[in-house]
Amino acid sequence: MIEIEALTKMYGSAQVRAVDEVSLHIPAGSVFGFLGPNGAGKTTTIKMLAGLLTPTSGQVRLGGFDVVRQRSAAMAQFGAVLEGSRNVYWSLSAWQNLMYFGRLKGLRKAQVSERAEDLLSGLGLWERRDDKVGGFSRGMQQKVAIATALIADPPIVLLDEPTLGLDVEATRVVKDWIAELARELGTTILLTSHQLDVVQELCDRVAVIRRGRLVADLPTRELLAGFRERDKYEIRIEGAAPAGFDAVTREGVTTMSVRVNDPREVYDVVERLRAHGVVLESLTQVQPDLEDVFLALVNEASHA
Amino acid sequence: MLDVLGAEIGKGLRVQLAHPIGHVITLLISTMMYLGLQFVLGQGELRQDVLPQTLVAIGGYWFLQYAGLVMVADLIEEKRAGTFAQAQMTTAPPWLPMLGRLITASMFGLAVAAVASLVPMLTAGIAVPLRWAALLPAMLLGINVLAFTFLLASLALVSPMIGALQSLFTSLVLLLNGSFLPLALYPDWLAALARVLPTTLGIEAITQTLFEGRTVAEIWTGGTLPWLVAHTLALTAAGGLLFVRNHRRALQESS
Repeated sequence: MIEIEALTKMYGSAQVRAVDEVSLHIPAGSVFGFLGPNGAGKTTTIKMLAGLLTPTSGQVRLGGFDVVRQRSAAMAQFGAVLEGSRNVYWSLSAWQNLMYFGRLKGLRKAQVSERAEDLLSGLGLWERRDDKVGGFSRGMQQKVAIATALIADPPIVLLDEPTLGLDVEATRVVKDWIAELARELGTTILLTSHQLDVVQELCDRVAVIRRGRLVADLPTRELLAGFRERDKYEIRIEGAAPAGFDAVTREGVTTMSVRVNDPREVYDVVERLRAHGVVLESLTQVQPDLEDVFLALVNEASHA
Repeated sequence: MLDVLGAEIGKGLRVQLAHPIGHVITLLISTMMYLGLQFVLGQGELRQDVLPQTLVAIGGYWFLQYAGLVMVADLIEEKRAGTFAQAQMTTAPPWLPMLGRLITASMFGLAVAAVASLVPMLTAGIAVPLRWAALLPAMLLGINVLAFTFLLASLALVSPMIGALQSLFTSLVLLLNGSFLPLALYPDWLAALARVLPTTLGIEAITQTLFEGRTVAEIWTGGTLPWLVAHTLALTAAGGLLFVRNHRRALQESS
């Protein structure tokens, strides 16, 4: 479990509040998405969570241990892949990296060896375990970084942009791993990503930070439902749209967007289309995705 | 704790040995530089009356120069790459990985110092008497060098330009610690200035035991040993204070 209470970080003599009274409770076994535009305070929050920055006020507890006062116990609860950094030693092999980071977490050599073998096999790197990481592809390097975060089998894992720069296949592998970790091993995962489809697919709950303050903290479904446009429908038809309808035709498929005041008015629209002899392919209520929600929240907060 | 220390030292050695060419070049330079320097200073001959004392000093210089270089270059590279921050998320206290780095750097410094001393000894037939009384000053010299390296590393945490300051100090050490001429031949004011630099007091204490036959008690009452201890403690305290201050800033800036 991750507990963040009124976390605040102020910088410089001007006392700029990079993070302002942020509170979050992330239950064990959940995948939590932490989103924010650049400069919102996301990285500062993550650094405080990882024990790399000392909060000005407030508290972070990992598995019940205070990151500042009980640092050693808190770090034992925790593994991380930080964004924008190399995370692992390129001049060492995948195996040597795992052995090093495992022992930094206080594990004995035999314990690390066993776990490293499982991780490297699971990530498809066992055959390359003795090769230098510097010679690996970006995807393979990221897999090694993720393996180092998991080497001590921590109950809490922070993944900052874990799929950044990965190809489709590697992204799929990483996403499956994250889902499996939470579902089968009960690991608590804090995930940040600018790839919002990844967050939407994996996260049970999402928080959005802007200018140091939380602007949302809700289960993903509730967050999306809150932004559902109940009056907007998308109709796909065969052939061209009749006159008087807003439509876009791409690769032979015509899509029309229809706004109604009452959902029952959809029947009238369908009747009008039938009168024109139009063949319906599909009719769906428009569902917002996390990107729409994120942009709406961020823009809303900036206009507030 | 020991496991973490062992992991840090092992990692440091592997990272350093992954690129051996730099170390090989340093070893070559270190073996050639001393005799070349003494040959020029002796106006075409190697003066056996100064060689033993200056050889001890050049060993001290290489220990300081190379341990510092390995330590500072390693820290700056890790900070730039991001592995520095990653390695701080350990269950161990922050000073422990730093101690591991210091031990690794000292291993490389000692290796170069040993080769830089032994090769001229064997090739030019320089005789250095071995006396037990030199053991304590030699150990204190080692600690003195590590304290200075720690101070440099603490500065390197926040200042990538530390290399320039490092070059200045190591050049001054080479000029003044007795590698060119024994300290006894310096004018008083220059000897006093030289003693402010790292290694000089340690080398003076060692040469007093090896070449003047003094005991540890004598170099203590003579003042060289107390000054060496005070100098080492001052460097350690300054390094410790800077480490506490700069470590936080380094993490703030990292990744």
